[in-house]
Formats: sequence, structure tokens, C-alpha cells
Amino acid sequence: MDRRTVIKNLALVIGGATLLPSCLKGSGNYIPLKHINITADQEKLVSDICETIIPKTDVPGARELNLHIFVLKMLDDCYKKKDQQAIMKGMDEFNAMVQKKYSKSFSDLDAKGREAVLTGIENGNKPKTGGNKPPARRFRPQKDLQVPPLDAFYWALKQQTIFAYTTSQFFMTKEIVYELVPGRYNAHFPVKNLKTA
Amino acid sequence: MANLNTDSVKQRTFDAIVIGSGMSGGWAAKELTDNGLKTLILERGRDVKHIKDYPTTNLYPWEFPHHGVLPMDVQEANPVANRCYAFGEDSAHFFVKDAEHPYVQVKPFDWIRGYQVGGKSLLWARQTQRWSDFDYEGPARDGFAVDWPIRYKDIAPWYSHVEKFAGISGNRDGIPELPDGEFLPAWPLNDVESYFSDHVKKNYKNRYVISARCAHLSKPNQIHLDQGRSQCQERDLCQRGCPFGGYFSANASTIPWALKSGHATLRPFSVVESIIYDDKLGKATGVRIIDSHTKEAVEYYAKVIFVNAACLNSNLVLLNSKSSRFPNGLGNDSGVLGKYVAFHNYSAHIGAEVEGFTEWTTDGRNPAGGGYIPRFRNVYKQETDFLRGYACGLSAYRYQQHKYDGVGANLKENLVKGEISPWYIGSHLMGETIPKETNFVTLDTGKKDKWGVPLLNISVDYDDNDMKMQKDFVEQLTEMFTSAGFKNINASTNHQAPGLDIHEMGGARMGKDPKTSILNEWNQVHSCKNVYVTDGACMTSTSCQNPSLTYMALTARAANHAVEELKKGNIS
Repeated sequence: MDRRTVIKNLALVIGGATLLPSCLKGSGNYIPLKHINITADQEKLVSDICETIIPKTDVPGARELNLHIFVLKMLDDCYKKKDQQAIMKGMDEFNAMVQKKYSKSFSDLDAKGREAVLTGIENGNKPKTGGNKPPARRFRPQKDLQVPPLDAFYWALKQQTIFAYTTSQFFMTKEIVYELVPGRYNAHFPVKNLKTA
Repeated sequence: MANLNTDSVKQRTFDAIVIGSGMSGGWAAKELTDNGLKTLILERGRDVKHIKDYPTTNLYPWEFPHHGVLPMDVQEANPVANRCYAFGEDSAHFFVKDAEHPYVQVKPFDWIRGYQVGGKSLLWARQTQRWSDFDYEGPARDGFAVDWPIRYKDIAPWYSHVEKFAGISGNRDGIPELPDGEFLPAWPLNDVESYFSDHVKKNYKNRYVISARCAHLSKPNQIHLDQGRSQCQERDLCQRGCPFGGYFSANASTIPWALKSGHATLRPFSVVESIIYDDKLGKATGVRIIDSHTKEAVEYYAKVIFVNAACLNSNLVLLNSKSSRFPNGLGNDSGVLGKYVAFHNYSAHIGAEVEGFTEWTTDGRNPAGGGYIPRFRNVYKQETDFLRGYACGLSAYRYQQHKYDGVGANLKENLVKGEISPWYIGSHLMGETIPKETNFVTLDTGKKDKWGVPLLNISVDYDDNDMKMQKDFVEQLTEMFTSAGFKNINASTNHQAPGLDIHEMGGARMGKDPKTSILNEWNQVHSCKNVYVTDGACMTSTSCQNPSLTYMALTARAANHAVEELKKGNIS
């Protein structure tokens, strides 16, 4: 695939998704997913969760950066079937849990309420870390989600939202500077001179 | 028609044919064409032109459909390729997909292949160390395999020859067991690697931690600029193909060089079925290929043939080249063809945390990867309960740690603001394995590929010596890390299948005696002198250095021998 095709494909995915929900809302699938079925309501839920994880501050948030499209693409393409089933089951459980607790849907909660729902799940069941190994250098999608569906759903969304954000063009050009061509290796470099320290 | 046929035969006749266009095949093509030989280069896969055919080379992470993560269906469809560290969304197009080219795993074997012009030279880890006589004399001293028919003095000038052209960075470390070469400046060790290097030097006899030697242009010479290559830019994205030609690949270096001579013809999509042996003339006369698109069989003819299909495929080609003179495969009078296959033991890793050095870090990326510990076990004398020894890769690093707790503005801020981690240090085992008759490949008697070529059965496994070596690596490195004051030392062993080291060697080994080997001291088939085998298949033993540099040197030496022999009329 050449560079132009990649950009064209991304534009198609993003363009299609931003246009279609308004005209196809509630009528089923509307973004080209190959393995999972996502309804317009579910897409809205994912989008709202992404925005709660990475909200708009003085810099763009998930909605403005269209992160949920990438998150859905990753859920669709980069998980095993059984993990996708757990995630989708978890999404249903998530909706039921929120409805039961608040008598409202997640999307009808205010920002504080939405945060409380997510941190409630997060503090309830953290994924296991890998013993005394050094932590991963880079936040990567989980390989196996051997947790209850609600947690599988939450952690997959959280991981993918963070991954989507930290590998977005905005983040890698404005928040940090990703260098494609460093052109140097300084083996003895003062920490105090690091840009991001 | 008769005239047409004659013309066609003429068009299909060359001075030399090289089977394979990768690490060693590129060198054969370069040396033969430098000497004016009209050379046909056969490649089973597609052409990959330098820069033009590196579609991902200048992509930013966000420009990949999955930002670098391979889709699960690709991972699940390719369990073998997916185990290779370099198989990613940016490089998958340079790997053979499991289903495309099946083989038979009699025992588990991860056969990592790159079927394209340049082969795996696009994907290699670029580590390059010379062998010394401690390696070439190994089998004779320790009583395994057969004696190498060459010694360091025979190959040393050819190491120099290929190093100057390929461009190897390194320090002149003055270590007898790891001879110095024709070096461009080395990438330096960082503070923790340097500390460990000093510690080891002070406290251990004959143990060294040096800058890794690698095939990168730290400071190009004219000969590299003449190839159209330029200085390595420390991108560390080598598996995509390098737009600067910063590291050595056949695509950036030897293949375009050979083509520029005007003496080379490159034919991609050419699956070699066999080498044609003429019983009456008593020599090989050409190569029979299957065009991978048309499935048409075509014969090409030449005075001399170089077999550089990559170790196991070179074995396959020889085994499948049957004639009444050689019913069991070309040159296989001894019956050892396909046997004594060996590899490198990568089955252990050790990591630790390093206290101190907090004011210092690194900036940019180190394409050499860090440090290298040459073999220190059983070098000057046998001192353990296992044969031979191991080298170790070594690197120290720290990185930005981020807090991923919670959601919202706070989390978002934490993703930008990191805290620098402590230093960590890691090392991995690279062990010699002992070639044995019981580690072998054969042609499957029933199954064939799409082109009618028999599938390869691979039956290669670890042995007791490998497990003892693994244990010793863990013990020795734990002791060295402990005495250096490193904390939280964590050793792990794995049972990765042979093959994943991508250092498979042997099967058509060199030796002095035609009764126990396939090739002579010039890499000629003992009983068919106009066929040379100069890739991993020729290796009598494996030692523990990364092997590519030795394949390159053996190939250049053999190609120049072939040119001399043609001049003298000893082969025709």
C-alpha cells in the first residue's frame, strides 16, 4: 500500500463516519466494520466514553480528534474473536449497569457522572501487572482479555483510546515531537535537557 | 524453428547464474559482474527496488491503518512469521506468509523467510562480527562435526574486502577472539553500558563488553557514496527498508551495483526447481526454473552456478537436483546432504534495574542496539560441562514513564508529562549449537508446492548441550549483574523453536573429506566443481557470531576463485 492509499483510506473511514450517523442514526451499521456489529447508539456510547477518557481541555479531546473511529477500527481488526465477544457483551452489561444505578443512560449523565462511572469500574478491578518485570515501554493493546466482560469492555476502550490519542497526528506533532529522522544518538545526555522531562 | 531455438538457447546462456538475490547472492552477483562475467540473478519472489519499493519507509505512526499494530486476522493466519520480532504493520510485506509457502515441521521450526529481491537482507538485525581461529578450529579441537577446511588467515582478507564495501561500524577492541575489521566509527555505549563494560574489564579475565559492531554507515566513505548510499540517520526503522541506504542490504548495495555494471540480468518470479547436471559432460550446465506466474519451466545455462537460496532452500535445491550420477541430490555421494543442520540458541534473557546515573540519559536512537559481549566460555580451554559458548547482546535504557490511572483531564495531562524511569539493563543469549546428523532436512516424498517442487521436511531440535548453556548464561550473567550492583535481576528462559533465531546453518557443509562433507575449501561442490554454495548451507559449525558477515566474505572469496578457475580453464 503506498502512502497515498493509506491516507485515502483513513479519509474514507473518517469522512464516512462523521457524515453518516446523522442520516443513518438508529438504523444499524454505518461504518465499515468487518467483525463486529456496532449500532449508531453504540457508536455514540463509545464516542462519549472516549471523550470522557480524553476530554476537550485547552487542547482538542477525543471527539474533536475523531478518536472513537480509530478505537472502533482497532476493536474490529485487532482483537481475537472471543475477546470481541467479551467486549460486546461487556458493552451491554455496561449499559444495563448504568441504567440500573442511575436510571439514565451513560450519554444522559453529565461529565462528572460519566467520570464517576468509569473510575468506578477502573477502581473495582484493575488488570494484573506482570510481576517484577519493568513496565511496558509503550502502552499497547492487551493481547488476552481474561477478565469479566464489563472489565474487558472498559479496559479495551481505555487502552485503545489512550493508544489512539498518543499516536494521533495531533499528539505526535503538538504535544510531543515524534522524530521520523532523529539524525543523532547522544549516549551521554543530561536529563535536565530532555524536552519532555 | 531450429534457428529460433538456437537463438533462444543463446539468450538463455550466461557465464554465471546466481540462485538467490539476498545477503550472499547479492555478493556473488557483485563480484562476478565486477569481473566482467555475464551473470543471471534468479529470484523466486518479486523485485524490490531500493527506496521505490519501500512503501512504508517514510510513514508516521498515525499514517498506518492501525498505527503499527498488525490486524488479528493477519497475526492468526501467520503464527510462524508473527513470532518474529520484526513482523509488524510496517514490514509484513517483506515476510513470507505462512500459507503461501508451506513446509513440514517434523519438529517445531519457525522458518522465517523473505521471498523478494534482497531477501532477508532488508530485515536483518545488522550485527556483524568476524570469526577467529577460536571458531574455525572449534570442531577439530572439541571433536564434533568435521574440521573446517579453512582458517582465519584464508578468510581475513575477504572480511576486509566485504567490510569496506558494506560499511561496518565498530571499535578496534583488540580482542583476539573477535578480530578487528575495517571499521567506520562505532556508536558509543551509554553511561550504564560503559559502567558495566568497565566493571567487567576490571573484575573478569577475558570478558569484554564492547560497542555492538553493525552494518551501518556511521561515516560513509566514497565507496558508499558511489553506491548511492548516505549516512545512517538513526531512525531505527530499518525493517521498512532505508531511504538513506544507511544500513547494508542487497537492495541498497550489491544488487544495484551488479546491475549498474551492465553485466547482470535480474529475473524475479523464478522458482528454482533444480540444477541441471549433464552426466556425459560431468558437470552442471544450468538451472531449471518455474516461472511463478506462468508456471512455465525454463532452462538457463552457464559455466558456473552459485547457490545462494538461503540455507534451507539451498539444501532443497541441491536435494531436488537429481541425475543418474547424483540420484540422491547434487554432490551427495556422501549422504550427508541436508544433515548437520544447526542454528543459534536464543532461549534466555536477563533483565535488571540499575541504581544511580540518574542525571544522565540518552537522546536519539542507537542503530547498533547497544553493547556486545563476545564469547568468554571455553575459549582458551574447555572449562565447563558443555561444549563451546555464547555471545550476549546487551543494552541499557530508560524511558518516559506515564501514569495511566483514571480518566479525564488529569490522565490527559499525564500522557504528556512523564517521569523518567530508572535505568534498566538487559541481555540475551546467543549460543553456538552443535551440528548433528540427527538435525536434518529432507524432501517430502508426497507433498509438493504450487510449482511442483517437493516440500521441505524440517527436523531440528535443541539438545542437552543447549540446555546446559542456557543454564550457564543465566548463572554467569546473574553473577556479573549482581557483582555490578544491579537490582531486581530477572532471568527468563523460553522454548522458542529453532529457526526463530533466523540463523539456520549447514546441510551442505564444507570439509576436507568428500566422504563426510559436500563442499571443499572454496565452497565448490566436491564432485561438481562448477557449483558453489556460499550461503548458510555451507557452514560446518555455527560459532556464536551473527553469521551474515561470514557468508558475505565466503561468497566474495568463492566468486573470485570461480573467476580464476574459469580463466585457468579448470571449470568451463
